[in-house]
Amino acid sequence: MTVAADCALDMRGISKTFPGVKALSNVNFAVKFGTVHAVVGENGAGKSTLMKVLNGSYAPTSGTIRVGGAEVRMRRPADAQALGIRMVHQEINLVPDLSVAENVYLGRMPGKWTFLRKGEMIRAAAAVLDELGAAINPRERLGNLSISQQQLVEIAKAYAAQPRIIVLDEPTSSLSEHETAALFRILRKMRDDGIAIIYISHRLKEVLEIADEVTVLRDGSMIETRPIEGINAAQMIRLMVGREVSNVFPKSPAEIGKSVLRVERISDGTRFRNVSFDVRAGEILGLTGLVGAGRTEVARAIFGLSRLVEGSVSVNGREVSINSPSQAVRAGIAYVPEDRKGDGVVPGMSIRENISLPILRRLSRFGRISRSADHSLAADSVKQFSISPPDGERRISLLSGGNQQKAVIAKWLAAKPSALILDEPTRGVDVGAKAEIHHIIGQLVAGGMAVVMISSELPEILGVCDRVVVMRDGYASEPLLRSELSEERIMALATGEETA
Amino acid sequence: MTEAAMEIGGVNRNDRFTRGSRLVDVLSKAGLAFAILAVMLYGSFVSPAFFTSGNLLNVLTSMSIVGIVVVGMTFVLVVGGLADLSVPATIACGAILSLGLQPMIGPLPAFVLAVGLAGLIGLLNGVLVGYVGINPIIATLGIGTIGLGIVQAAVGGVIVYGSNPASAEFAKGRLFGIPVVVLIFLVIALVGHFVLSRSFWGRWTLATGGNYSAAEASAVPVQAVKAGAFVITALASGISGGLLGLTLQSARPLIGGGYEFSAITAVVVGGVSIVGGFGSVPRAIAGLIFVQLLTNVMVLDGVRTPIQGFVLGILIVGAVGMDAALRKRGVS
Repeated sequence: MTVAADCALDMRGISKTFPGVKALSNVNFAVKFGTVHAVVGENGAGKSTLMKVLNGSYAPTSGTIRVGGAEVRMRRPADAQALGIRMVHQEINLVPDLSVAENVYLGRMPGKWTFLRKGEMIRAAAAVLDELGAAINPRERLGNLSISQQQLVEIAKAYAAQPRIIVLDEPTSSLSEHETAALFRILRKMRDDGIAIIYISHRLKEVLEIADEVTVLRDGSMIETRPIEGINAAQMIRLMVGREVSNVFPKSPAEIGKSVLRVERISDGTRFRNVSFDVRAGEILGLTGLVGAGRTEVARAIFGLSRLVEGSVSVNGREVSINSPSQAVRAGIAYVPEDRKGDGVVPGMSIRENISLPILRRLSRFGRISRSADHSLAADSVKQFSISPPDGERRISLLSGGNQQKAVIAKWLAAKPSALILDEPTRGVDVGAKAEIHHIIGQLVAGGMAVVMISSELPEILGVCDRVVVMRDGYASEPLLRSELSEERIMALATGEETA
Repeated sequence: MTEAAMEIGGVNRNDRFTRGSRLVDVLSKAGLAFAILAVMLYGSFVSPAFFTSGNLLNVLTSMSIVGIVVVGMTFVLVVGGLADLSVPATIACGAILSLGLQPMIGPLPAFVLAVGLAGLIGLLNGVLVGYVGINPIIATLGIGTIGLGIVQAAVGGVIVYGSNPASAEFAKGRLFGIPVVVLIFLVIALVGHFVLSRSFWGRWTLATGGNYSAAEASAVPVQAVKAGAFVITALASGISGGLLGLTLQSARPLIGGGYEFSAITAVVVGGVSIVGGFGSVPRAIAGLIFVQLLTNVMVLDGVRTPIQGFVLGILIVGAVGMDAALRKRGVS
């Protein structure tokens, strides 16, 4: 393939390695001027990493990038902006207290050294908004606009910089159908102006509607680039999930007993609504869906880290009221959080101090922590979960991700819960530790524990779980038996191609 | 996979003293001991008065009054509460009430009530910082100003004098040759050290300062723990103020001015992290000893007051800079 003159972007052989993880592996990705090029893939397929390489946030480990035919090297986002590459992020990155015009020209305000030429700025912003067909007053305070209007301002901001390449990351996630149609008109206009548009989305229907070409990423590799005419949604899903069946995680059979944790019609008012499921002793219930579907929010609310506005939670048949994690622990619920660094470990403390944290009071007499109980708990945990290095006094931040995760699980098992919620328990751990963690979960359910496992990894969900709940936009499907499911069906439920 | 990779890529933030060079390691652990020795050595050279029991007892006594506050302030810094600026108010509360209430209810109940009311100011601080989530600097500054105002109004803005000679005798007295104030300080320091290093409350305090959301997700009552640090500090400064009042036998509303600065200086110079999660009472006290000895030597050496302030200012900025540098070392 030669570099065509109409080639806006040509990324060749891009790899990006983080310590322990290969996020991108030899990815080729080319976009032509005057086209909309969609990028699709599962959570963690490498879309965000690729875009962060493109906008200069990450330096690639290897590979070359050509913009408009010339090879470039970008060290920071400002370099990418200087080359005419603009990103519109999924979450809004604007200043609510400034006006629309000020936001559009933020960082590039007209006027030299001293005074802003405010009138000029407002006129220019009005022209841009008008060109995009967005009926927004440039003098309005941004915070007074609806989320979808703010999204348009974000796009106007990128457009006003007269970019050659615009990257839109899930731009429709906060838009209604009507607004999406308006956005598409704008995108087509920008395309006709000759701008290269990279469109990242989980919504395959929209991809089929707007894109000229589509590239599928999976597990950090580029799978295929095709013209949109030659592909349908089912084929895309197959390309997104179809991996070798090399990592299967068989669950050891456990006797399934009576219901342990039951949630009924719970809502938090914003992030999820009307979620119901139950999990029984000896059972692993999978909770899956796309990032942002509300899975973690459900888990945090059950554990008392955020409030429920509706619905009930019961443990072992008794309804419980949970307003704080310590009440959840008392009720017999434990939660291993998704963000291990942020919510899982206290990095400055030792393995021992981390493990005993939730049950310190039980280990104390007259306020004093029993040294022997504290130390023997740590020693037992280190041994039971083969945490390496096997030294309870080791600072937990010095451990590998997998061993930190084992310590976090050990911490919660010390509290002897009857139901355990694991949020992405194997994310970011290597294959060996992953197998160990699956083994530990298997032992727990064999011992009669009820486990809820949140995971984005479909092979893991299908390999480990007895039943699966798929969430989309804050709503949960009925629990589906493993035998009823395939990766394609879960993906279809998660993206809304199939409604449960 | 992206986030996962970032997690692995990001390095241990709180990992001070383990990733630095050996020199940094030794300095951070024993640096203060060296510095204290150096100051003592210098002091004995420049002034024959330095190594007299009279001078050292003086240093020890004045150190004890601040030291009691330092014990409390250590909790505030470790829990991630930045600093308690209401100390001048709680000291004044302790001093003025423990003298002013003597004629009405007797010296001991006056002292207890004074400390209790100081604790109440701390409770207000704690609720605002821990539960409402107001920035500690603003909350303690505001509550301190209000508290001081109330105390001033209560005594009519004048100096209050002691009326019970026996209690004065006790506060100024000695037990086994050691000033009573020093003994009280030692007891409080020991209790503080025990609570911070051996009790579940102390472990909770360290965890809350080390990673607030992880502590919260580990069923630690983080709000109460954060509030508790401010109550502890207020009780300590109440006691400190009471003892100060009894020793001086007079208390004016501004009696506690500057104590917050001395206490924060000592804790920070002692190497307690200003962002929380790391520190101990002995470290803070080592910082206190260093600062107090340095001040004493400067006084004996005839260093002028503005220069003294200059030196202390450099010291506190240097200590905070070191803290930041050590944390950065942990990051990169």
